[in-house]
Amino acid sequence: MSLPKASLQRPRIIKETERLVADPAPGITAAPHDDNLRYFDVTIQGPDGSPFQQGIFKLELFLPEEYPMAPPKVRFLTKIYHPNIDKLGRICLDILKDKWSPALQIRTVLLSVQALLSAPNPDDPLAPDVARHYKENEKDAQRVSREWTQQYAS
Amino acid sequence: MSDSEMPPERPPLFFAGSDDEEDDVVMGLEGPVASSSSPAPSRASSRLAGSDDENPVQPDIISSQKRPIYVDDDSEDDSKAKPPRPKAGPSHKPPPKKRRISPPSQPDPPPTYIGEMVFAHAWSNVSGKGYIKVNEEVKIMREPKENPKKDGSGLKNKKTGDGKKQMSLTAMMKQPAKSNLKNKKTDNIVRLYNSRGFEFGRLPQDVSSWMAKLLDLGIVEFRGKMLDCPEKLSTGATLIVTADVYMLPGAFKPSNPDTDGNKATVMFSEGTETLDEQTLRERKASILKLFDVIGLRPHAGANFVGSKSDEDIAEEALKKMASRKSKKVTEIVGDDEEIEVEEEEELSENDLDMIYQKAQKSDRTMGEMEAPDTFTFTLRGYQKQALLWMHSLELGKMDAREATSMHPLWSQYAFSDLDLCTRVIDLTADEKLFYFNPYSGELSLDFPKAERKGRGGILAHNSEMGMGKTIELAALIHTNCAPDTERPAEDPVPATKHRQLKLNNAFKKVPRHKAQKAPFATLIVAPTSLLSQWEGELQRCSTPGSVTVLLWHGQNRRDLEDVLEDDDDGDSTIKVIITSYGVLASEHAKSEKSSSKSPVFEIEWLRVVLDEAHMCKSRTSKTAKAVYALNARRRWAVTGTPIVNKLEDLYSLLKFLDFRPWSDYSFFRSFITLPFLARDPKAIEIVQIILESILLRREKTMLDTNGKRIVELPQKEVTMEYLEFSSMERKIYNSLFNSAKRDFEQLNAKGLVGKNYTHILAMLMRLRRAVLHPNLVLASDDHRTLPKEGDGAVDVNDLIKRFEQGTQAGEGSNVFAQKALENLDLDGADAECPLCLDVMQSPMIIPECMHRFCKDCIIAHVANSDDSKCPNCSRGPVYVPRRIQNPVYSCGKNDFRSSTKLDALVDNLRKLREQDPCFRAVVFSQFTSFLDLIEVVLKREHFEQYRFDGSMDVKKRGIALDEFRASTRRPKVLIVSLKAGGVGLNMDCWWNQATENQAIDRVHRIGQEKTVYVKHFIVSNTIEGRILRIQKRKTAIVKEAFRGSGSGGARTDPESMENLKIMFGEEPDEK
Repeated sequence: MSLPKASLQRPRIIKETERLVADPAPGITAAPHDDNLRYFDVTIQGPDGSPFQQGIFKLELFLPEEYPMAPPKVRFLTKIYHPNIDKLGRICLDILKDKWSPALQIRTVLLSVQALLSAPNPDDPLAPDVARHYKENEKDAQRVSREWTQQYAS
Repeated sequence: MSDSEMPPERPPLFFAGSDDEEDDVVMGLEGPVASSSSPAPSRASSRLAGSDDENPVQPDIISSQKRPIYVDDDSEDDSKAKPPRPKAGPSHKPPPKKRRISPPSQPDPPPTYIGEMVFAHAWSNVSGKGYIKVNEEVKIMREPKENPKKDGSGLKNKKTGDGKKQMSLTAMMKQPAKSNLKNKKTDNIVRLYNSRGFEFGRLPQDVSSWMAKLLDLGIVEFRGKMLDCPEKLSTGATLIVTADVYMLPGAFKPSNPDTDGNKATVMFSEGTETLDEQTLRERKASILKLFDVIGLRPHAGANFVGSKSDEDIAEEALKKMASRKSKKVTEIVGDDEEIEVEEEEELSENDLDMIYQKAQKSDRTMGEMEAPDTFTFTLRGYQKQALLWMHSLELGKMDAREATSMHPLWSQYAFSDLDLCTRVIDLTADEKLFYFNPYSGELSLDFPKAERKGRGGILAHNSEMGMGKTIELAALIHTNCAPDTERPAEDPVPATKHRQLKLNNAFKKVPRHKAQKAPFATLIVAPTSLLSQWEGELQRCSTPGSVTVLLWHGQNRRDLEDVLEDDDDGDSTIKVIITSYGVLASEHAKSEKSSSKSPVFEIEWLRVVLDEAHMCKSRTSKTAKAVYALNARRRWAVTGTPIVNKLEDLYSLLKFLDFRPWSDYSFFRSFITLPFLARDPKAIEIVQIILESILLRREKTMLDTNGKRIVELPQKEVTMEYLEFSSMERKIYNSLFNSAKRDFEQLNAKGLVGKNYTHILAMLMRLRRAVLHPNLVLASDDHRTLPKEGDGAVDVNDLIKRFEQGTQAGEGSNVFAQKALENLDLDGADAECPLCLDVMQSPMIIPECMHRFCKDCIIAHVANSDDSKCPNCSRGPVYVPRRIQNPVYSCGKNDFRSSTKLDALVDNLRKLREQDPCFRAVVFSQFTSFLDLIEVVLKREHFEQYRFDGSMDVKKRGIALDEFRASTRRPKVLIVSLKAGGVGLNMDCWWNQATENQAIDRVHRIGQEKTVYVKHFIVSNTIEGRILRIQKRKTAIVKEAFRGSGSGGARTDPESMENLKIMFGEEPDEK
């Protein structure tokens, strides 16, 4: 069975956008570009109690053609010191890869990203040196993270 | 002179074949008739004889000249006629002699007296004395101006002679037309001549206008006598003339019932009225007028002249037609008042009854016929009758049911009793009657039998099933299986009609492969759903190897010609090809496009059978056209409803049967449709007579010769089980109903019901679904139309949701589902699909985790990934059933919420299983979505079940039926959509009881051995009760006003309104 893609997705994207704007998740903003409704400028506030607290991180989010059957592409634009985020801003998060489900939404993705900031997972690293740093000396690593946050995300 | 002049005037009538003595007798007899003294009969006759001798060869000359144009003949004849005239002198004998000669060689009846008329306002156009005296003979003639002096007798003779020549149809139709036209344009004056040939006056315009035509065409002759005139004529003086009217033999020449068809073709096939047609029409009108004036009334048959209004109606209808044909027919255009030609005019039930009545009259006493040995079934009595009837029709005999009716278009007239000649002369001696076709203007001396020439007919068994149409035809196929070696043109027409016969044949298609073997194969055309049934039935009723049945359907149809050629060598089996209307139509379309004809239209079939022939009732449909294009010796139309609701429905069948003349559309239209629309009862009579000869109609309730019902069906017990809604269902239903009712009342008050018909229909459908299962209302696509109540009424959506959540605790089967449903997150006002974030369209539930999604979304999701899991919780894998009919439940069964009707059904089936562990039940509903629900319940109850609905192709349906039929020790349930034609446990009501009955009765075919119990489940106090009431009001023809998508548009007939009022009315429902 083939899905009437264009007709079905479009409303979902619009709906999601509307809801994001009308009822934003705490600490998260997402706004689509005027010229490309699939491309979002996102900010995520660093969660309290994490080394990223107080930081405002910019991200970009892009909904591919297949969305929601394929996950959105999300990338940090702001430099961040995090074991699961590499220096290009790419994020290692399962729901953005094989655990993606069409039941997830932009909001849930961003909330997951936000949660990732609270709970770095150095066992599944994307930035190996940062991961090693976190594993070997978490305190020092968190300090670096805080510095970066102050330096780049405020 | 005045006295003695009278008798001589009469003799000409009786000359044919008479000698002097006879003449004498005639005269003697005639005297009194003429109401004038006949002092010198013998003198007259002797004079006649004398003159006769003088000119013995004249008629032959005339006829050999073959000059049908009167003018020419007259002038030529004039010279020849002159010699005798002087001799005849003052007594005017000449005309007789010529006429007298002709009879021996040509057995024509003489001119025959039919009546008398008086012209009170003839006028003189000369002045002076001596032209005419009272009681003197007056010749009433048409005369070309150039021949003012011409002898009247010569003219008359000519006309008689012409009559003979006109025997040839072409002459009759063509030449006179031209000359007539010419004459008519110039004048239609009828002149009065005295015995010496001097014109002295004319007839008034009002009579001469039509008399002129009769005279021109040689139909009648007027023998006038001066009744009153001034001694001395002056121009413009009033003359009173009487005339005896004699029908000339020529009038009867072309009239032959067999030619109707041909004439019809000539007359009506063409777009504009030709001269021929015009002539015929004028001829007809003139004769009618004449009959009217002389007071000639039909004794029997078309009761045409009976009342003036009838005549007018027919005239009008004809005129209507004629004027449509050609605007240039000026005579007609003037009279422009219209018959409302409303094609949609429908027949009332009474009309239908009346129509069939005649055709069924003699059926009880019909003979029977046994089927041959190769046919293994035993026929019931009425089936044997049908077999005999069909057999006779195929062989061109009408013994089975004597059709002695007069041809419907003809009227019987009697020649005036006073006519002397009848006893004297050969042919006329036994012919006191003559026949007139008031439509075509034809006259005939032969009894115009309502006979038919096509082979075949209509087998109309009442729409309820189980009559065994299939079996009867199968028996026929077995009985008349020999190739039809007769030449197709052969017709059992008496030799005397030889010429017509030839002409007739000219219109028939000459079979293309004359040299090849005679047609031997039967083609059966049936609706797709019945193809396999035909095949099966034919096989079952035949001894093995006696019949070869080929299902010619589907993509890989074999080359028909191959099939038939191949099998032919030395193979004596009966060939039957079965195909569908669809295939036929597409083959036909193909043939039309390309030059090569599809073999199915090339082959000359021995027999073509149309099952459910009303499928092609619309003559302009592709199907109908394809069917007409078939080439067959024998044609049968099998249908429960030859006339669905209009008389024109019948036309298509007649066209297929090639039942002339009715197979010509304009003919049918002008003689049946238009008169019917004009409320002319004759239309129905005609149809009756048509049907009498070609239709065999049977109803279950008909009795046979012994007074028993012709069909002894296995017992059928019909019961109604009234159910009560649960309180929640009731609330939901009432809420829907009240809103629908309010809508209706508002619309009704504004008079907008007609415009919003579809809307109302939609509401009704929703109500009906609500009775079955509340979810059907939710699941349907029209969320938008769900009432949104702001005025304190219950919110239906909410109710349904609560219903879904289950408020009826304590039903074991539902406990699990209930729990599962309770766990669902149903907080939002509208359940939202997590995939599209929209209100769930046709929600589907994953049984593992009870997560719900739109049908489309979840399907897309599953299709998208290799190991699909629930998008919400990643549980899985998730499978989507291949055939997803009902989105609500097909993903899982546990979420299932039953409804009153479903519970009742299951209860019943459970009980059945206890009583009879291998019962068969058929459940049907109009709504396939409800069938889906039923499937779910049955699955839960572990019933073996089969499904039969319109979405399945023939093969699948066939398999389903076969498996259902196969005997096992387990109970089986067949779930059928009412439209696909099923039976048994009736879950809801259908507007049209006939449809419902047909469906119910079809159960007999599936398995006829056991008593059939029919149970209708009706929920009390719902729309179903109201539907039942409508059904009761009229069961035979429920106008399909409610059917489908409101194709009737804005049209709302009173009856539909009435029905709607019942739907929404206040009357308490019966329980």
